[in-house]
Amino acid sequence: MESVINEEGRSDQFPVGMRVLAVDDNPTCLRKLEELLLRCKYHVTKTMESKKALEMLREKSNMFDLVISDVEMPDTDGFKLLEIGLEMDLPVIMLSAHSDYDSVMKGIIHGACDYLVKPVSLKELRNIWQHVVKKNIGSYKKIIAPSRHLLPTSEYAPSGSGKRKEKADDSGDGDDDSDRDDEEDGSEQDGDESSSRKKRRVVWSQELHQKFVHAVQQLGLDKAVPKKILDYMNIEGLTRENVASHLQKYRLYLKKLDEGQQHNMSQDAFGSRDSSYFHMAQLEGLRDYSSTRQLSSSSLLTRSSLTKFHPSVYSSVNLQGSNSSSFIPPGHHQSSSSSANPFGTYHSPLLARSQNVNLSPLEPLQFPRSKCSPYMGDFKGIADRGIGSSFLDSRMSFGSSSTSLPCATSNNLMLQENFGVSDGNQSCLNGLSSFPSHHSWQGNLKTTTRFPSQSLPLNHAFGQDQMTCGGTGLGDYNTSLVSADSHVGVLQCEPPFLGDFMQNMNTHKWEEQNCTMMNNTFGNVDYPLPVDNNMVFRDNNATRSKGVDDSLMMSPIEDSATTLNSRECVGNVTMMDPEMRSSTKLENDLVDNQNDVFDDIMNEMLKQDENNGMVSVAARFGL
Amino acid sequence: MDTLVSQLQRQFRDYTISLYHQGFLDDQFTELKKLQDECSPDFVAEVVSLFFEDCEKLIGNMARALDQTGNVDFSLVGSSVHQLKGSSSSVGAKRVKGLCVTFKECCDSQNFEGCVRCLQQVDIEYKSLKAKLQDLFSLEQQIVQAGGRIPQVDI
Repeated sequence: MESVINEEGRSDQFPVGMRVLAVDDNPTCLRKLEELLLRCKYHVTKTMESKKALEMLREKSNMFDLVISDVEMPDTDGFKLLEIGLEMDLPVIMLSAHSDYDSVMKGIIHGACDYLVKPVSLKELRNIWQHVVKKNIGSYKKIIAPSRHLLPTSEYAPSGSGKRKEKADDSGDGDDDSDRDDEEDGSEQDGDESSSRKKRRVVWSQELHQKFVHAVQQLGLDKAVPKKILDYMNIEGLTRENVASHLQKYRLYLKKLDEGQQHNMSQDAFGSRDSSYFHMAQLEGLRDYSSTRQLSSSSLLTRSSLTKFHPSVYSSVNLQGSNSSSFIPPGHHQSSSSSANPFGTYHSPLLARSQNVNLSPLEPLQFPRSKCSPYMGDFKGIADRGIGSSFLDSRMSFGSSSTSLPCATSNNLMLQENFGVSDGNQSCLNGLSSFPSHHSWQGNLKTTTRFPSQSLPLNHAFGQDQMTCGGTGLGDYNTSLVSADSHVGVLQCEPPFLGDFMQNMNTHKWEEQNCTMMNNTFGNVDYPLPVDNNMVFRDNNATRSKGVDDSLMMSPIEDSATTLNSRECVGNVTMMDPEMRSSTKLENDLVDNQNDVFDDIMNEMLKQDENNGMVSVAARFGL
Repeated sequence: MDTLVSQLQRQFRDYTISLYHQGFLDDQFTELKKLQDECSPDFVAEVVSLFFEDCEKLIGNMARALDQTGNVDFSLVGSSVHQLKGSSSSVGAKRVKGLCVTFKECCDSQNFEGCVRCLQQVDIEYKSLKAKLQDLFSLEQQIVQAGGRIPQVDI
């Protein structure tokens, strides 16, 4: 593999060649660290002086992809370096011999994207590239427009798989890895193949989550292992991997709880780091809504809902953030780390409002194989169908009956995208199609004018041809996901539906909430969406419809969350847009529309989210 | 009949195992060995040399600090101990690392006597490890010179 440097200065063989700046005043540790990093095939620059490191960082802003630094250095405070790195939007990993809670907490609170305890192992370092991806979603987007080349997935697959495998192993989802890898490889090659494979998604609805929590409590948090939880929950179709990733998020969430929710939320606004946290918070917080939601775990866990996430999609689906991944061409991730992240970060938000569709925890690092182009196609299809832009809960619980809002949020799309990414089409959508539109949401449909309550037809339609990317999925999504009853449901941000969305006031709120939740849900990787992503969308989108806002107003706080989500979705969609642009003008239009609508929603949500910190989620997604 | 090479190899293996069993080395040392390959053929030797240099420097700092009778800067001693702990754990110098834990406690409690004792022990320990590793490297060289391959020892 020759090393190709893209315009960002990063290697196109990312993560190979990732430029790391290693700082440690201990020569022994530094030498060892250097060797470990070299073994991971990163490009290493080392220095024992943090002053020198700061100079290097300031000298050329994009000289490095990642900084890894010891915290206790006599001459300089490691946190100073951290600040500089953050200013430059560089991921900074802290190293320390201190493993005590307070030290780690301090590091994370100051913004370190990771905190490693010495002695550091090779395994840990192999995964650090994920932070670069997460941080660079924004720049990744920039790359999309000009280059628009897709990462040669075949090239990526091997190393990516390996890394993913490691990551998965770390989180206990080893089983999924091989599946994902297989699927990914397959999907990469079959970009246009209609999704014949159904990706099963797990929607962590409120009920499901409650069962989960109950199981964990029964087993004891320390002893709660996925297998046991799975057995305890005894839900048909739920896999150990689903539980494992959800458990991981839950643990993170609990940890965050300790720190104080408010603190986290406020900090996390715009770039909150813990999307999974939010997701969980929403899951937990949604309990109040459960009565309004018709989603029953059983319904949710129908085959459609329990679609297995396509690995590639996994990452993308996750959150609105991941949505961005969906539009991030696969090729990108190789070239720039940013591409990879979107998926990771986005996971949680999408899953957030567990109500409906909680995409099973997506591996944060999943690099979307990006089927951006198919995605666009999907949009087109959706638009063609004239599906109202109901905001489907970004929660994307596929088919989650969530909201009645037919919000074809981009989230959904994204989710779809993500899923479909690997296969090129469908994964998400397929999942969607399989989503019984006859879910509870159908009842909800009544509130959504646009969507044919069945949306089934749509779903089917999507599933079949174009929706490779999930574009179709969205269509399905919109219809199926729109569930009048479960407003909180899934925000599906489907660009094509924006127009329709406008009309479905009711649902907007939902979608917002959903979006937010979804965003949160996916937060396996705690990288907040780059703020600028959010900005992009907000600024770009004129307030399209007041109506949208109104509808958004309708629901309680959750709505704002969903709005955010939807916004994020939109944003995501937009991001994809450049990639998609190759498709059709229509697609572009759709995306634009989408942005507008979402923008409004976002504004709404932002206003509303001040309190509950949802803003950050939305912001994260750049809606 | 045992060839020279196989004898040396056996010695090497036995010696390595004993170092682990006696607690001189731990799995981090194994990790170091794994990082040594054709691209970095002398990696282990390089890192352990850095480590021993570190030890000398830090012990010197600590001795000087402790020498300031009546005005000992325990935080300075403590930070040096911390550094030493970091290096020793990186290379797998298990005993040294263990001593650092005790040493740190003495610094925290400003136990002068304790610190002095710990310092002496650390000094002895690192020198002892240094000698042993030198023997080990020397065995390696002999094997190579005798035309053999350095055996991989699984602990």
